Amino acid sequence: MQRAKNKVAYLFISPWIIGFVLFTGGPIIAVFLLSFCKWDMISTPKWVGFSNYVKMFQSGSEFWTVLEFTLLYTLLSVLISVSWALLLALLVNQKVKGTRFFGFLYFVPAVVPIIALTFAFQLIFNKELGIVNYLLALIGVKNPPNWLMDPSYVRWLLAVLNIYTFYTGQMMLIFDSALKEVPKELYEAAEIDGAGVFTRFLRITLPAISPILLFNLVTATVNSLSMSFALIYPLTGGGPGKLTQAISLDIYYNAFKTFRLGYASAEAVILFIITAIVSLLMFILSKEWVYYEV
Amino acid sequence: MRRLMVFLTLLVGFALLSFAGDVIVIRYAHWNALPPDPYNYVKAFEEKYPNIKVEFIQIPEAEYSQKLRSMALAGNAPDVLCLWEADLADFARAGWIVPLDDYIRQSEKLSVDDFIPAVKQLMELQGHLYGLPWCFATEILYYNKDIFDKAGISYPNENWTWKDFEEAARKLTIVENGKVVQYGCDALGFQGLWYSLIGTFGDKIVDEQGRFVFGKGAKEFLRWWYNLTNRYKVVASPQITTSGVVSADLFMAGKAAMAFNGSWMTSVYKDIKDFNWDIAPIPKGVRHYSTLHTGFFAINAKSKVKDAAWKFIEFCMSEKGQELINKAYNNPSARISILKKGYYRVEGPKGPRNWEAVEKTAEFAEWGYTLLPPGLTFDLVKDFNAAILGQISVDEVVERAIEKAKDILGEERVVVTK
Repeated sequence: MQRAKNKVAYLFISPWIIGFVLFTGGPIIAVFLLSFCKWDMISTPKWVGFSNYVKMFQSGSEFWTVLEFTLLYTLLSVLISVSWALLLALLVNQKVKGTRFFGFLYFVPAVVPIIALTFAFQLIFNKELGIVNYLLALIGVKNPPNWLMDPSYVRWLLAVLNIYTFYTGQMMLIFDSALKEVPKELYEAAEIDGAGVFTRFLRITLPAISPILLFNLVTATVNSLSMSFALIYPLTGGGPGKLTQAISLDIYYNAFKTFRLGYASAEAVILFIITAIVSLLMFILSKEWVYYEV
Repeated sequence: MRRLMVFLTLLVGFALLSFAGDVIVIRYAHWNALPPDPYNYVKAFEEKYPNIKVEFIQIPEAEYSQKLRSMALAGNAPDVLCLWEADLADFARAGWIVPLDDYIRQSEKLSVDDFIPAVKQLMELQGHLYGLPWCFATEILYYNKDIFDKAGISYPNENWTWKDFEEAARKLTIVENGKVVQYGCDALGFQGLWYSLIGTFGDKIVDEQGRFVFGKGAKEFLRWWYNLTNRYKVVASPQITTSGVVSADLFMAGKAAMAFNGSWMTSVYKDIKDFNWDIAPIPKGVRHYSTLHTGFFAINAKSKVKDAAWKFIEFCMSEKGQELINKAYNNPSARISILKKGYYRVEGPKGPRNWEAVEKTAEFAEWGYTLLPPGLTFDLVKDFNAAILGQISVDEVVERAIEKAKDILGEERVVVTK
């Protein structure tokens, strides 16, 4: 009887298992094997051992620039987007009129298609015709920057523009619901004890929402490492030079623009390892600051 | 009577079934959607050949190349493919497409001699004719006639050299309060332009053996362009482009007297209402040079309906088919006899008028960089921009480009000019 029940259970979960093996597990194994091959999608894959990895990490390789930008972008964009999402969530949780309306306004950029957003940003930050430089000229700046082509600005700008992506909007909603769950009596008690706004935020709000903060930090990091393509590709295409070429973008170019599937697969494996290590570290360190019971 | 009716119904049914059985279905892939009536060339073909039905597959441009490769690998490629230049060579090498030599030899409508010279050159390079260009585009110079008139400078023409260009650009640049308010020329937006302009400085870009030829011309051009941009400030600074599309176009905004761009931009600029404009070939350096762009109609080697596939290609390349395609996409025909009829010409109220510029360019333009993997050429362009912005030296950019090309194409396919 129990066996029959098990069989039925396996039958129910089999569509997902089959889908996972075919569309996720299979490709993951294929990518790992391809990373040891040279393949242009035409001739038969040729086994080349570790040469793709050697090429990637040899001195002078462009991969170092790519890696440096990926890590810098991840660090900046996670810090900025998570802080921004938390700030907006705190604002829409204030006891003032119209918070729902403001919540809606804050969320609007998150539902605008990313391609439209990036095109608008290209216009806004255009050196000659952009509104930012127009405003700077009005206040007397004679040589305003070429924002998206200048190495001093473009990386920061990309990290900041991340706050307009769908993901930041989604994090805001998650923070918003977490903030609503913080017991009000804790704030009342702290207020009676004379705690100020900042102290209440640090001592009550942050510990209370720390599991959600961890969740958002981990997902934002994974998202930044592997999904940055959606923002960067249409906005800068990885330029100027390779200054804003994230690993995800480099994988795309190597795989589908130069058809170096082996090298691209090796990059994908490295990205997987980096993501796994960073996520693991975050979970280990979370024991120090995440409270699951308030 | 009822029996007779049943019998007749069955008879008609069988007749229809047998008729339906004779209909041949060909699958055809393209990155563009089919144009609406009256320019829908697929519909026109089906009307002419009612026994052949075309199943159209639109594949988005961003994933066109890899999707077709995946389909070919899986043995599931469409019967007729419109292949990009770089893919044509790879597909031929893989044996995924068939030579069209015999088909065109037997055709009463088509002749290789009727195509622009670059088609024959490609045929010689690849040993066979593997594809026929569905139409073509090239890269040209756009100029604002009103700005030229105001400055009293004669318009660019096919005899213009880079010296003429530089002189005009300097005179046409206007500086007010230390700020450039009108540039002599806009920055290079579309990536192919870099190769077209470098080509005029002597580098062959792609030679008769299909090798990447690059070095001396690139250095000379980049240094000169750097000076025009930063020292004389007559060319605008590079701007971000997405797939070659610049979001802010200084020429269209009337803030640049000249601009280089693809001939396809005539269909965008035709809406300009504020100033008169026209087109000219790219100025001459040590030679005339420009890049051709197209897609090649080719037949899948595994197709079971090759004759029907050829019929479709033959129709698309016929005068009727070319007229529809040229009018729908505003791109000229690669068949000289049809090109001269000018079906592609769509003029706006202010321009262009000098269509000769496109036809003259077709005489000397080559496939050039389009025969190379797009990832390589795109990557190099990002470095060219960095050189013009002074972020990397010209020598370093060219050396890096050569190393990158050797890595991607193999040492034997790279020739360094010195």
